[in-house]
Amino acid sequence: MKDICHREHRVHRECSRAAGSSGFLCDLCALCGLWFVLSFVPAQATDTLHLYNWNNYISDATVARFEVECNCRVVQDYYSDNEEMLAKLAAGASGYDLIVPTGNAMESLIRQRALRPLDKSLLPKLGSIEPAYMNTVFDPGNRYSVPYAYTLTLIGYNDAKMRELQLPVDSWAVIFEPHYLEKLKGRVTVLDSQRELLAAALKYLGYSANDTNEEHWKQARDLIIRAKPYWAAFNASSYIKELTVGNIWLVLGYSNDIFQADLDAQKAQRGFRILASIPKEGAVLALDSMVLHKSGPRPDLAHRFIDFMLDGRNSSELTNLIGSGNPNRAARQYIQPEIAQSPAVFPDKAQQVRLEMLRDLDRHQRRVLSRIWTEIKLK
Amino acid sequence: MSGPPFVFLLLFFVAPSVIMVLASFRYPGEFGGLAPLFADTQTLHGLTVETYEFFFSDIIYGYVFLKSIFVALATTLICLLLAYPLALLIARSPKKSRDLMVLLVVLPFASNFLVRVYAWMIILGPQAAFSQAVNGVLALFGMEPVHLLFSPFAVLVGMVYVHLPFMVLPLYTNLEKHDPALLDAAQDLGANVWHRFWRVTFPLSLPGIFSGSALVFIPVLGMFAIPDILGGTGDMLIGNLIKEQFLGTRDWPFGSTLSIMLTVTVLLIVWLTTRLAGRGRHYA
Repeated sequence: MKDICHREHRVHRECSRAAGSSGFLCDLCALCGLWFVLSFVPAQATDTLHLYNWNNYISDATVARFEVECNCRVVQDYYSDNEEMLAKLAAGASGYDLIVPTGNAMESLIRQRALRPLDKSLLPKLGSIEPAYMNTVFDPGNRYSVPYAYTLTLIGYNDAKMRELQLPVDSWAVIFEPHYLEKLKGRVTVLDSQRELLAAALKYLGYSANDTNEEHWKQARDLIIRAKPYWAAFNASSYIKELTVGNIWLVLGYSNDIFQADLDAQKAQRGFRILASIPKEGAVLALDSMVLHKSGPRPDLAHRFIDFMLDGRNSSELTNLIGSGNPNRAARQYIQPEIAQSPAVFPDKAQQVRLEMLRDLDRHQRRVLSRIWTEIKLK
Repeated sequence: MSGPPFVFLLLFFVAPSVIMVLASFRYPGEFGGLAPLFADTQTLHGLTVETYEFFFSDIIYGYVFLKSIFVALATTLICLLLAYPLALLIARSPKKSRDLMVLLVVLPFASNFLVRVYAWMIILGPQAAFSQAVNGVLALFGMEPVHLLFSPFAVLVGMVYVHLPFMVLPLYTNLEKHDPALLDAAQDLGANVWHRFWRVTFPLSLPGIFSGSALVFIPVLGMFAIPDILGGTGDMLIGNLIKEQFLGTRDWPFGSTLSIMLTVTVLLIVWLTTRLAGRGRHYA
């Protein structure tokens, strides 16, 4: 049931990105989580940290350890995409000490002056974050944010099938070129996300993922329309299951979804692996960072939590749980060796250079892109 | 029109529509939502008709509408063909078993609609018995195997499946009220089975057909979840387009414009059918 998703609640950064679980199931999980937290916390603990996080984006063990260490309670609320989180905050939700938005959503929060600047004297372990993930365009100088984890948008594939068909998996060509796709007709899904798909096509054409030149967008559109007849669907959630059962052999998907599909396939002893590869043309990286919301009553606890998460062991637990990318150098030694070897978790220097973070589009560009997307869907 | 129905319409139809109309004349906000009406700092504020220009300057949106109307019509027609015999069967059953049968028709509502749509993903999936049977038959005739899931066919199946009870119930309510004596009279006057149906039952059931059709056609026209889940790469309907404007594209004014166009389309169709229905009744 993991893949059952309230698709209507999800766009850009899909819910599956964080977990692959559903809107209503998420609500259920949130309630269970709350119950769990409420029932296991000693009665005398009155300090409370309010964390607004992606669903399934922190390990229970980590939360429990922090609660012991700070002698406080952690109350979590969950969201399944950035738009949902932004909409809830815009509607006046308050009292969150910490939020974990993706870069472009964070930029929007910063520009709305909704965030509290960090006090770096309270974050002695900040140096363990890989410099490549610091000082991003979204928050120059990290005045507001500390990187938490990241997801890559890349190629996921059924290892056995791709070997059998002798198809290359190191390039977006396999997603976009008809002469490869002919062997894969109806066995490919791509994300149902305008930005992610456009970014992949732009990368394949040799442009930046953030290119906003409309001519280049049209070239990307034509590339997508040419490949589309071979794809089974634009799919953002059920592709995890379809990969696991072997119906779908190749996806343009999120790294932690592909990790999940691989875990499930191994658990079900399917006899094949689901692997991920970063295309040589480059890919999109979505960096989620911890930020302090102005409405949060406990910035002190929030700083303590950030420092706690900068610890290698604590940080590693999320990666071990969902296969998310980890920007924390100190975490590396605690991560299961097989996960650590995956390029989606720790891309090497050469791969890092080819990764790009998506910036927000302005309203005019969003409208133009939506128009192109409609055309793609109808052709 | 007065009293509670009027208040109901005002609260749940007029007020939201007015909000939508107003939103459609605004500029989109930089981070989504709406740009402020009055502002000194931002360049774009106030009212505009740009979303309407955008809508009418491009044939593609009209095409999405046409396609959605076509899918809604097809769904309504299939629902009608499937529901009519069933409703007739229930209406002509002994009173005791009728209630049970109606209960069975309504029973699927007991589980969430999304769960039922996901169930179709499994049924139509390539490894399911149904798909393999279909492809087995196709292979007998030397035809290529087909993918049932992620196709317009799957969307239609999902639409029909979800909306079938909405057709059965009004039809049944109508057919149940028919006086059996009418059919006896027709038989005495020499009408055969077909004539009795076509000249007596069918004309009398027209109001049921129209209300059932409206109950199926209108929701299908705005449906986005089913094409999202079961559809393939080309199954975008107007509901998907509107949803996308409010979420991914964060373009509320254009989303509102599309919604208004949809409301206008629905009202037009309802007006047309009531006129036709009136004429139909006259004819009957």
